[in-house]
Amino acid sequence: MKRFALGMAVAVLAATTGLAQDRPQIATVNYPLQYFAEQLAGDAADVLFPVPEDVDPSFWRPTISDISTIQGADLILLNGAGFATWIDRVSLPRSRVVNTSVAIEDQFIVTKSITHSHGDGGEHSHEGLAAYTWLDPTLASAQAEAVATAIAGKGLVPVEDVAERLIALQADLAALDARTAEALADVGDVAIIATHPRYQYLARRYDLNITSLEWEAGAMPSDAELAELADEAAQTGATVLIWEDTPPDAGFDAVTDLGLRNVVFSPLATANGDADFIASFDAYVTALSDALQAQPGN
Amino acid sequence: MDGQLIRAAAVAATLAIAPTGTMAHQLVVFASVDCQVVTVEAKFSNGRVAQAGDVRVLDGENTLLMTLELGEDGTAVVPLDSVDHSGGLVIEVDTGGHDNYWIVTPDDITRNCGS
Repeated sequence: MKRFALGMAVAVLAATTGLAQDRPQIATVNYPLQYFAEQLAGDAADVLFPVPEDVDPSFWRPTISDISTIQGADLILLNGAGFATWIDRVSLPRSRVVNTSVAIEDQFIVTKSITHSHGDGGEHSHEGLAAYTWLDPTLASAQAEAVATAIAGKGLVPVEDVAERLIALQADLAALDARTAEALADVGDVAIIATHPRYQYLARRYDLNITSLEWEAGAMPSDAELAELADEAAQTGATVLIWEDTPPDAGFDAVTDLGLRNVVFSPLATANGDADFIASFDAYVTALSDALQAQPGN
Repeated sequence: MDGQLIRAAAVAATLAIAPTGTMAHQLVVFASVDCQVVTVEAKFSNGRVAQAGDVRVLDGENTLLMTLELGEDGTAVVPLDSVDHSGGLVIEVDTGGHDNYWIVTPDDITRNCGS
Protein backbone atom coordinates (compact mmCIF):
# COMPACT_ATOMS: atom_id res chain seq x y z
CA MET A 1 0.00 0.00 0.00
CA LYS A 2 2.97 2.36 0.48
CA ARG A 3 3.81 2.21 -3.20
CA PHE A 4 0.15 2.71 -4.00
CA ALA A 5 0.08 5.81 -1.79
CA LEU A 6 3.01 7.22 -3.72
CA GLY A 7 1.19 6.47 -6.93
CA MET A 8 -1.71 8.58 -5.78
CA ALA A 9 0.29 11.76 -6.20
CA VAL A 10 0.92 10.79 -9.79
CA ALA A 11 -2.74 9.97 -10.20
CA VAL A 12 -3.86 13.41 -9.16
CA LEU A 13 -1.59 14.96 -11.74
CA ALA A 14 -2.70 12.59 -14.46
CA ALA A 15 -6.40 12.50 -13.72
CA THR A 16 -7.23 15.19 -16.22
CA THR A 17 -6.14 13.07 -19.17
CA GLY A 18 -8.82 12.99 -21.83
CA LEU A 19 -10.21 9.62 -22.88
CA ALA A 20 -10.93 8.65 -26.45
CA GLN A 21 -13.52 5.96 -25.71
CA ASP A 22 -16.74 6.20 -23.75
CA ARG A 23 -15.14 3.91 -21.22
CA PRO A 24 -11.41 3.49 -20.97
CA GLN A 25 -9.95 0.19 -22.05
CA ILE A 26 -7.44 -1.87 -20.12
CA ALA A 27 -5.65 -4.66 -22.00
CA THR A 28 -4.24 -7.60 -20.06
CA VAL A 29 -2.04 -10.57 -20.93
CA ASN A 30 -3.51 -13.20 -18.62
CA TYR A 31 -6.56 -13.98 -16.54
CA PRO A 32 -5.16 -12.98 -13.14
CA LEU A 33 -4.41 -9.49 -14.41
CA GLN A 34 -7.83 -9.37 -16.06
CA TYR A 35 -9.41 -10.33 -12.73
CA PHE A 36 -7.41 -7.79 -10.76
CA ALA A 37 -8.18 -5.02 -13.25
CA GLU A 38 -11.88 -5.85 -13.22
CA GLN A 39 -11.99 -5.84 -9.44
CA LEU A 40 -10.12 -2.56 -9.21
CA ALA A 41 -11.75 -0.67 -12.09
CA GLY A 42 -15.29 -1.85 -11.48
CA ASP A 43 -17.66 -0.52 -14.10
CA ALA A 44 -15.43 2.39 -14.95
CA ALA A 45 -13.40 0.56 -17.60
CA ASP A 46 -13.59 -2.27 -20.09
CA VAL A 47 -10.98 -4.90 -19.39
CA LEU A 48 -9.71 -6.79 -22.42
CA PHE A 49 -8.11 -10.23 -22.42
CA PRO A 50 -8.19 -11.11 -26.12
CA VAL A 51 -6.60 -14.57 -25.95
CA PRO A 52 -9.04 -17.32 -27.08
CA GLU A 53 -10.11 -19.72 -24.32
CA ASP A 54 -8.38 -22.72 -25.86
CA VAL A 55 -5.03 -20.99 -26.37
CA ASP A 56 -2.20 -20.82 -23.85
CA PRO A 57 -1.68 -17.07 -23.34
CA SER A 58 2.02 -17.68 -22.71
CA PHE A 59 2.48 -18.59 -26.36
CA TRP A 60 -0.46 -16.84 -28.01
CA ARG A 61 0.25 -15.43 -31.44
CA PRO A 62 -1.98 -12.40 -31.90
CA THR A 63 -3.38 -11.19 -35.18
CA ILE A 64 -2.75 -7.73 -36.55
CA SER A 65 -6.28 -6.84 -35.49
CA ASP A 66 -5.60 -8.00 -31.94
CA ILE A 67 -2.51 -5.82 -31.74
CA SER A 68 -4.34 -2.85 -33.19
CA THR A 69 -6.93 -3.21 -30.43
CA ILE A 70 -4.27 -3.54 -27.73
CA GLN A 71 -2.33 -0.58 -29.10
CA GLY A 72 -5.49 1.48 -28.71
CA ALA A 73 -6.04 0.60 -25.06
CA ASP A 74 -5.59 3.26 -22.40
CA LEU A 75 -3.54 0.91 -20.28
CA ILE A 76 -1.69 -2.29 -21.17
CA LEU A 77 -0.90 -4.53 -18.22
CA LEU A 78 1.98 -6.97 -18.63
CA ASN A 79 2.81 -9.77 -16.24
CA GLY A 80 6.59 -9.65 -16.56
CA ALA A 81 8.84 -12.64 -15.79
CA GLY A 82 8.86 -13.47 -19.48
CA PHE A 83 5.14 -14.24 -19.63
CA ALA A 84 3.51 -13.74 -23.05
CA THR A 85 6.12 -14.01 -25.76
CA TRP A 86 4.13 -11.87 -28.19
CA ILE A 87 4.86 -8.64 -26.35
CA ASP A 88 8.41 -8.62 -27.71
CA ARG A 89 7.15 -8.94 -31.29
CA VAL A 90 5.00 -5.85 -31.57
CA SER A 91 5.20 -2.14 -31.04
CA LEU A 92 3.43 -1.10 -27.86
CA PRO A 93 2.98 2.49 -26.69
CA ARG A 94 5.47 2.77 -23.86
CA SER A 95 3.57 5.44 -22.01
CA ARG A 96 0.60 3.10 -21.59
CA VAL A 97 2.45 -0.12 -20.79
CA VAL A 98 2.89 -1.22 -17.19
CA ASN A 99 4.88 -4.25 -16.07
CA THR A 100 3.03 -5.40 -12.96
CA SER A 101 5.89 -7.43 -11.51
CA VAL A 102 8.64 -4.82 -11.38
CA ALA A 103 8.40 -4.66 -7.59
CA ILE A 104 8.83 -8.40 -7.20
CA GLU A 105 11.64 -9.02 -9.67
CA ASP A 106 13.95 -9.95 -6.82
CA GLN A 107 11.61 -12.86 -6.10
CA PHE A 108 11.61 -14.29 -9.61
CA ILE A 109 12.61 -17.93 -9.96
CA VAL A 110 15.19 -18.72 -12.64
CA THR A 111 14.34 -21.97 -14.38
CA LYS A 112 16.85 -24.62 -15.29
CA SER A 113 18.56 -24.54 -18.63
CA ILE A 114 17.43 -26.62 -21.55
CA THR A 115 20.43 -27.74 -23.60
CA HIS A 116 20.09 -28.59 -27.27
CA SER A 117 21.86 -28.13 -30.56
CA HIS A 118 20.94 -27.47 -34.16
CA GLY A 119 22.56 -26.13 -37.30
CA ASP A 120 26.20 -25.19 -36.91
CA GLY A 121 25.71 -23.32 -33.68
CA GLY A 122 26.82 -26.19 -31.48
CA GLU A 123 25.26 -27.18 -28.21
CA HIS A 124 23.77 -24.30 -26.27
CA SER A 125 21.26 -23.69 -23.55
CA HIS A 126 18.17 -21.59 -23.00
CA GLU A 127 17.52 -20.24 -19.54
CA GLY A 128 14.36 -18.52 -18.49
CA LEU A 129 12.15 -17.36 -15.68
CA ALA A 130 9.23 -19.08 -14.05
CA ALA A 131 6.37 -16.88 -15.19
CA TYR A 132 3.32 -17.98 -13.20
CA THR A 133 3.98 -15.52 -10.41
CA TRP A 134 0.35 -15.25 -9.29
CA LEU A 135 0.37 -18.81 -7.95
CA ASP A 136 2.00 -17.25 -4.89
CA PRO A 137 -0.85 -15.06 -3.60
CA THR A 138 1.59 -12.70 -1.91
CA LEU A 139 3.16 -11.99 -5.30
CA ALA A 140 -0.31 -11.74 -6.81
CA SER A 141 -1.09 -9.13 -4.18
CA ALA A 142 1.95 -7.10 -5.20
CA GLN A 143 0.84 -7.30 -8.82
CA ALA A 144 -2.67 -6.20 -7.85
CA GLU A 145 -1.13 -3.17 -6.17
CA ALA A 146 0.79 -2.38 -9.35
CA VAL A 147 -2.46 -2.63 -11.32
CA ALA A 148 -4.19 -0.29 -8.87
CA THR A 149 -1.38 2.24 -9.10
CA ALA A 150 -1.48 2.10 -12.89
CA ILE A 151 -5.27 2.52 -13.07
CA ALA A 152 -5.21 5.42 -10.68
CA GLY A 153 -2.11 6.90 -12.23
CA LYS A 154 -3.80 7.04 -15.62
CA GLY A 155 -6.84 8.66 -14.10
CA LEU A 156 -9.09 5.88 -15.34
CA VAL A 157 -10.88 5.50 -12.01
CA PRO A 158 -11.13 7.91 -9.07
CA VAL A 159 -8.23 7.35 -6.71
CA GLU A 160 -10.37 6.81 -3.64
CA ASP A 161 -12.40 4.11 -5.41
CA VAL A 162 -9.29 2.24 -6.50
CA ALA A 163 -7.78 2.47 -3.03
CA GLU A 164 -10.90 1.05 -1.41
CA ARG A 165 -11.09 -1.81 -3.91
CA LEU A 166 -7.41 -2.57 -3.55
CA ILE A 167 -7.80 -2.99 0.19
CA ALA A 168 -10.63 -5.46 -0.39
CA LEU A 169 -8.76 -7.35 -3.11
CA GLN A 170 -5.58 -7.63 -1.07
CA ALA A 171 -7.63 -8.86 1.88
CA ASP A 172 -9.09 -11.55 -0.37
CA LEU A 173 -5.62 -12.57 -1.52
CA ALA A 174 -4.26 -12.60 2.03
CA ALA A 175 -7.13 -14.81 3.11
CA LEU A 176 -6.48 -17.08 0.13
CA ASP A 177 -2.84 -17.31 1.14
CA ALA A 178 -3.81 -18.22 4.70
CA ARG A 179 -6.31 -20.85 3.59
CA THR A 180 -3.80 -22.35 1.17
CA ALA A 181 -1.08 -22.47 3.81
CA GLU A 182 -3.42 -24.21 6.21
CA ALA A 183 -4.65 -26.69 3.61
CA LEU A 184 -1.15 -27.59 2.47
CA ALA A 185 0.48 -27.61 5.89
CA ASP A 186 2.44 -30.73 6.79
CA VAL A 187 2.60 -32.07 3.24
CA GLY A 188 5.97 -30.59 2.38
CA ASP A 189 7.72 -33.95 2.28
CA VAL A 190 5.12 -35.59 0.08
CA ALA A 191 6.48 -35.77 -3.45
CA ILE A 192 4.29 -34.45 -6.23
CA ILE A 193 4.71 -34.63 -9.99
CA ALA A 194 3.20 -32.04 -12.35
CA THR A 195 2.52 -32.54 -16.04
CA HIS A 196 4.18 -29.20 -16.85
CA PRO A 197 6.54 -26.81 -15.03
CA ARG A 198 3.97 -24.23 -13.95
CA TYR A 199 3.97 -24.43 -10.18
CA GLN A 200 7.34 -23.07 -9.06
CA TYR A 201 5.93 -20.13 -7.11
CA LEU A 202 3.20 -22.26 -5.51
CA ALA A 203 5.81 -24.80 -4.46
CA ARG A 204 8.15 -22.21 -3.01
CA ARG A 205 5.44 -20.41 -1.09
CA TYR A 206 4.00 -23.54 0.50
CA ASP A 207 7.11 -25.72 0.74
CA LEU A 208 5.81 -28.26 -1.75
CA ASN A 209 8.06 -30.85 -3.35
CA ILE A 210 7.04 -30.74 -7.03
CA THR A 211 8.95 -32.16 -9.98
CA SER A 212 7.73 -31.50 -13.48
CA LEU A 213 7.25 -33.30 -16.76
CA GLU A 214 6.75 -31.66 -20.16
CA TRP A 215 3.41 -33.06 -21.20
CA GLU A 216 1.03 -31.27 -23.51
CA ALA A 217 -1.80 -29.70 -21.54
CA GLY A 218 -4.99 -31.75 -21.57
CA ALA A 219 -3.65 -34.37 -23.96
CA MET A 220 -3.58 -38.14 -23.57
CA PRO A 221 -0.02 -39.03 -22.55
CA SER A 222 1.89 -41.37 -24.83
CA ASP A 223 3.27 -44.69 -23.69
CA ALA A 224 6.72 -43.13 -23.47
CA GLU A 225 5.38 -40.31 -21.31
CA LEU A 226 3.65 -42.76 -19.00
CA ALA A 227 6.88 -44.72 -18.72
CA GLU A 228 8.67 -41.50 -17.84
CA LEU A 229 6.04 -40.80 -15.19
CA ALA A 230 6.45 -44.28 -13.74
CA ASP A 231 10.22 -43.78 -13.53
CA GLU A 232 9.83 -40.37 -11.93
CA ALA A 233 7.32 -41.70 -9.41
CA ALA A 234 9.66 -44.56 -8.54
CA GLN A 235 12.56 -42.18 -8.03
CA THR A 236 10.67 -39.59 -6.00
CA GLY A 237 8.06 -41.70 -4.27
CA ALA A 238 5.38 -39.38 -5.62
CA THR A 239 1.77 -40.46 -5.19
CA VAL A 240 0.05 -37.49 -6.79
CA LEU A 241 0.08 -36.14 -10.35
CA ILE A 242 -1.03 -32.56 -10.97
CA TRP A 243 -2.58 -32.10 -14.40
CA GLU A 244 -2.38 -28.63 -15.91
CA ASP A 245 -5.61 -29.31 -17.76
CA THR A 246 -8.16 -32.12 -17.75
CA PRO A 247 -7.05 -35.02 -19.97
CA PRO A 248 -9.26 -37.69 -21.56
CA ASP A 249 -10.62 -40.20 -19.02
CA ALA A 250 -8.13 -42.73 -20.34
CA GLY A 251 -5.36 -40.42 -19.16
CA PHE A 252 -6.71 -40.44 -15.61
CA ASP A 253 -7.08 -44.22 -15.76
CA ALA A 254 -3.53 -44.75 -16.99
CA VAL A 255 -2.14 -42.66 -14.14
CA THR A 256 -4.32 -44.43 -11.60
CA ASP A 257 -2.99 -47.74 -12.90
CA LEU A 258 0.50 -46.49 -12.05
CA GLY A 259 -0.60 -45.98 -8.45
CA LEU A 260 -0.88 -42.19 -8.51
CA ARG A 261 -3.81 -39.98 -7.66
CA ASN A 262 -4.98 -37.44 -10.24
CA VAL A 263 -5.47 -33.75 -9.45
CA VAL A 264 -6.36 -31.07 -11.99
CA PHE A 265 -4.89 -27.71 -10.95
CA SER A 266 -5.09 -25.15 -13.73
CA PRO A 267 -2.40 -22.50 -13.33
CA LEU A 268 -5.18 -20.01 -14.06
CA ALA A 269 -3.48 -18.17 -16.89
CA THR A 270 -6.97 -18.43 -18.36
CA ALA A 271 -10.26 -18.38 -16.49
CA ASN A 272 -11.76 -21.54 -15.08
CA GLY A 273 -15.27 -21.34 -16.44
CA ASP A 274 -17.49 -19.04 -14.43
CA ALA A 275 -15.51 -19.36 -11.20
CA ASP A 276 -13.39 -16.33 -10.37
CA PHE A 277 -9.70 -16.30 -9.52
CA ILE A 278 -10.14 -16.72 -5.77
CA ALA A 279 -12.79 -19.43 -5.99
CA SER A 280 -10.84 -21.35 -8.62
CA PHE A 281 -7.61 -21.18 -6.64
CA ASP A 282 -9.44 -22.35 -3.51
CA ALA A 283 -11.01 -25.27 -5.35
CA TYR A 284 -7.71 -26.43 -6.82
CA VAL A 285 -5.96 -26.19 -3.46
CA THR A 286 -8.72 -28.20 -1.80
CA ALA A 287 -8.43 -30.90 -4.45
CA LEU A 288 -4.64 -31.00 -4.07
CA SER A 289 -4.86 -31.12 -0.29
CA ASP A 290 -7.39 -33.94 -0.40
CA ALA A 291 -5.20 -35.95 -2.77
CA LEU A 292 -2.08 -35.41 -0.70
CA GLN A 293 -3.75 -36.40 2.51
CA ALA A 294 -5.52 -39.44 1.13
CA GLN A 295 -4.06 -42.77 2.15
CA PRO A 296 -2.59 -44.90 -0.63
CA GLY A 297 -5.25 -47.08 -2.15
CA ASN A 298 -8.09 -44.76 -1.19
CA MET B 1 6.08 6.87 -33.63
CA ASP B 2 8.90 6.52 -36.17
CA GLY B 3 10.98 3.46 -36.94
CA GLN B 4 13.49 4.26 -34.25
CA LEU B 5 10.76 4.55 -31.69
CA ILE B 6 9.31 1.20 -32.72
CA ARG B 7 12.69 -0.39 -32.13
CA ALA B 8 13.16 1.54 -28.92
CA ALA B 9 9.80 0.34 -27.67
CA ALA B 10 10.79 -3.24 -28.33
CA VAL B 11 14.10 -2.82 -26.54
CA ALA B 12 12.40 -1.08 -23.64
CA ALA B 13 9.85 -3.85 -23.41
CA THR B 14 12.60 -6.43 -23.38
CA LEU B 15 14.46 -4.61 -20.66
CA ALA B 16 11.35 -4.10 -18.60
CA ILE B 17 9.99 -7.59 -18.92
CA ALA B 18 12.96 -9.88 -18.59
CA PRO B 19 15.78 -8.15 -16.75
CA THR B 20 17.39 -11.37 -15.63
CA GLY B 21 17.54 -14.90 -16.88
CA THR B 22 16.38 -14.10 -20.36
CA MET B 23 16.65 -16.60 -23.17
CA ALA B 24 20.33 -16.94 -23.93
CA HIS B 25 19.95 -17.74 -27.60
CA GLN B 26 16.81 -16.68 -29.37
CA LEU B 27 16.14 -15.05 -32.71
CA VAL B 28 15.03 -11.47 -32.25
CA VAL B 29 13.15 -9.81 -35.10
CA PHE B 30 12.48 -6.09 -35.38
CA ALA B 31 10.71 -4.26 -38.15
CA SER B 32 10.84 -0.50 -38.46
CA VAL B 33 8.62 1.44 -40.82
CA ASP B 34 8.86 4.61 -42.79
CA CYS B 35 6.72 5.82 -45.64
CA GLN B 36 8.56 3.80 -48.26
CA VAL B 37 9.79 0.58 -46.70
CA VAL B 38 9.66 -1.84 -43.84
CA THR B 39 13.19 -2.58 -42.69
CA VAL B 40 13.50 -6.00 -41.10
CA GLU B 41 16.37 -6.72 -38.73
CA ALA B 42 17.16 -10.14 -37.30
CA LYS B 43 19.80 -11.10 -34.80
CA PHE B 44 20.24 -13.60 -32.05
CA SER B 45 19.81 -12.58 -28.48
CA ASN B 46 23.49 -13.24 -27.89
CA GLY B 47 24.19 -10.31 -30.24
CA ARG B 48 25.20 -12.33 -33.28
CA VAL B 49 23.66 -11.15 -36.55
CA ALA B 50 21.48 -13.68 -38.36
CA GLN B 51 23.34 -13.83 -41.67
CA ALA B 52 20.93 -16.00 -43.62
CA GLY B 53 17.29 -16.88 -43.54
CA ASP B 54 13.93 -16.51 -45.20
CA VAL B 55 11.82 -13.43 -44.63
CA ARG B 56 8.14 -14.01 -45.26
CA VAL B 57 5.72 -11.11 -45.54
CA LEU B 58 2.07 -11.92 -44.81
CA ASP B 59 -1.09 -9.87 -44.59
CA GLY B 60 -3.71 -9.87 -41.86
CA GLU B 61 -5.33 -12.97 -43.31
CA ASN B 62 -2.02 -14.87 -43.18
CA THR B 63 -1.74 -14.76 -46.96
CA LEU B 64 1.87 -14.88 -48.11
CA LEU B 65 2.62 -11.68 -50.01
CA MET B 66 6.35 -11.93 -50.54
CA THR B 67 9.42 -13.92 -49.61
CA LEU B 68 12.85 -12.35 -49.31
CA GLU B 69 16.32 -13.52 -48.36
CA LEU B 70 17.90 -12.10 -45.25
CA GLY B 71 21.10 -10.25 -46.12
CA GLU B 72 24.47 -10.98 -44.54
CA ASP B 73 23.98 -7.93 -42.35
CA GLY B 74 20.83 -9.48 -40.92
CA THR B 75 18.46 -7.09 -42.66
CA ALA B 76 15.89 -7.16 -45.43
CA VAL B 77 13.88 -4.37 -46.96
CA VAL B 78 10.23 -4.65 -47.95
CA PRO B 79 9.12 -1.83 -50.29
CA LEU B 80 5.67 -0.78 -49.14
CA ASP B 81 4.52 -0.13 -52.69
CA SER B 82 5.15 -3.78 -53.53
CA VAL B 83 2.61 -5.19 -51.06
CA ASP B 84 -0.92 -4.42 -49.96
CA HIS B 85 -0.21 -3.16 -46.46
CA SER B 86 -3.63 -1.65 -45.80
CA GLY B 87 -4.43 -4.31 -43.20
CA GLY B 88 -0.97 -4.38 -41.70
CA LEU B 89 1.83 -6.87 -42.20
CA VAL B 90 3.27 -9.86 -40.40
CA ILE B 91 6.99 -10.32 -40.90
CA GLU B 92 8.29 -13.83 -40.27
CA VAL B 93 12.00 -14.67 -40.25
CA ASP B 94 13.18 -18.28 -40.33
CA THR B 95 16.89 -19.07 -40.09
CA GLY B 96 16.39 -22.80 -40.20
CA GLY B 97 17.10 -23.34 -36.54
CA HIS B 98 15.21 -20.40 -35.09
CA ASP B 99 12.25 -18.37 -36.17
CA ASN B 100 10.34 -15.39 -34.93
CA TYR B 101 7.99 -12.70 -36.15
CA TRP B 102 7.08 -9.04 -35.90
CA ILE B 103 3.64 -7.52 -36.37
CA VAL B 104 3.23 -4.19 -38.13
CA THR B 105 -0.22 -2.73 -37.68
CA PRO B 106 -1.85 -0.22 -40.05
CA ASP B 107 -1.43 2.34 -37.29
CA ASP B 108 2.31 1.68 -37.11
CA ILE B 109 2.51 2.53 -40.81
CA THR B 110 0.25 5.57 -40.83
CA ARG B 111 1.97 7.07 -37.80
CA ASN B 112 5.24 7.01 -39.68
CA CYS B 113 3.77 8.65 -42.76
CA GLY B 114 2.34 11.55 -40.83
CA SER B 115 -1.16 10.83 -42.02
